[in-house]
Amino acid sequence: MTGHDGWQPEAPELVRPYVITKGRGLPDEDDLSLITLVTASDGQQQRPARLSPEEQSLLDLCAAGYLSVAEIAGHTHFPLGVVRILLASLMEGGHLTTRPPVARARLADREILEEVLNGLRAKFG
Amino acid sequence: MTEYTGNPLLWVALVALVAAAVLISRQRKAARALRQQVQGLRDHYTELESDYGKSVQAAQERAEDETKTVLKSAMRTLQGLAAEQQLVLSRLQTKYGDSALLQDLLEIDHTNSQFGRRAQSIAVLCDGWLGGRRDTASVYDVVRSAQGRIRHFRRVDILSQVDFGITSRAVEPVALALAELLDNATSYSSPDTVVEINIRTVPKGICVVVDDAGVGMSDEERARADKLLATERASGVAGLGNPPQFGFAVIGLLCERFGFEVSVDSSSPYGGVRAVVLLPHELLTAMPEKKAPAAAPAARGTARPVPDGGPEAALTSSQTGDGLPRRRRKRPMAIVPGSASTPRAAGRSDSEQAQVMGAFQRGTQSGRVTEPDRAERTDRPDNAGRTSDTPGASSEGHEVS
Repeated sequence: MTGHDGWQPEAPELVRPYVITKGRGLPDEDDLSLITLVTASDGQQQRPARLSPEEQSLLDLCAAGYLSVAEIAGHTHFPLGVVRILLASLMEGGHLTTRPPVARARLADREILEEVLNGLRAKFG
Repeated sequence: MTEYTGNPLLWVALVALVAAAVLISRQRKAARALRQQVQGLRDHYTELESDYGKSVQAAQERAEDETKTVLKSAMRTLQGLAAEQQLVLSRLQTKYGDSALLQDLLEIDHTNSQFGRRAQSIAVLCDGWLGGRRDTASVYDVVRSAQGRIRHFRRVDILSQVDFGITSRAVEPVALALAELLDNATSYSSPDTVVEINIRTVPKGICVVVDDAGVGMSDEERARADKLLATERASGVAGLGNPPQFGFAVIGLLCERFGFEVSVDSSSPYGGVRAVVLLPHELLTAMPEKKAPAAAPAARGTARPVPDGGPEAALTSSQTGDGLPRRRRKRPMAIVPGSASTPRAAGRSDSEQAQVMGAFQRGTQSGRVTEPDRAERTDRPDNAGRTSDTPGASSEGHEVS
């Protein structure tokens, strides 16, 4: 039992990763970066039976809500690139949607805060 | 009568008659002897001939056996190396999973698998080692494993899945036989066509149907294939031709040894060959269980209650057979909650947080308290004579005695 005893699909040695990815190439770094958030599309109730078990598992994983690509990879035992390829193909099939990483919170404008403070002082102080 | 006795002619004739009779009887004897001799020689000859045949056959068998032995051990080495390389590649793939290097690693992995399969095929022909032990695997995975062992695996399309597994004993042979079939199918069809695989449940077991849109087989090829698959088993690597045609010879041997059937006598609706692998019930099991299913969506939201013992108790609540604590897998957690608002994930409530902090503080305090205690003990009169540079050691020695 190595570190990833949680999520091992069928015999890791039997089916090699390049078969699981069906020989597809790595997706563009911009499309699917480590911190891109992924979730299952709304209309994925009628899941096609043609998906491989690995793709099904990824969909199950993403069904709960937004997960980052890095996190999804952490819950599988596959190399990160393989997960990205699988996610990209699921996106192409319309089973997954992505959301760009959350933008950094911008600091509130100092002038507005000062004005509010002054206003409050004028009213109550 | 007497008038003839004086006739010398008569005497001459008589003598001649006697001489002729003697001569004839002698000739006869000689002829008989010769005939016997010829018969003897003939027997000897046939004996020699059969002896020669036997010894040639024996020599051939011996040579074949020797070739087999040599090839078997050579292939065993190669198979071991291929397996080792596969492990190294898996490790590298994990290590460089996030770099562009992965693409190349996957390609090397593919080449390595083909190399391993070649060595395996030759090993099968030499009654050799088939490879390491496998776990029970689903039929779908065995088919995919076979797919990964051929060059043009991208052209193979698996159209259906069934909920059956293959017993651990049969995983490797079935995968190898299928790989040989797929290799044939992809090699003898044009590069832009797809080889389709259908997995069907039939009363006798499960059928894996491989259809290619190639040129099909000539009657001669079909006859050879039927012979190798059904009646006559290939033995050794002799007679495979140049370039050697391993496929059907390997499949035939595997069929015989592991009890499944392969037939190639029908033609595919796409014009090529339809190969059917029939896996009998003896080789089938239930679908292998996933070791741990991915977190079910329903399980989310109902957060795991944290026992009073704190987070550590939650982590070590179960134990393995060896008595070691088993680590619980942490549930995948979404960074941003989905549309359905879920209750706050169970962390520590404020009071628990306070408890933990309090316990920590008490711990450090008690730690500080005991240290002076010990120091006091070493200062007691019975220890006064001891050197003060090893107070801890001396106090412990005192407690033991």
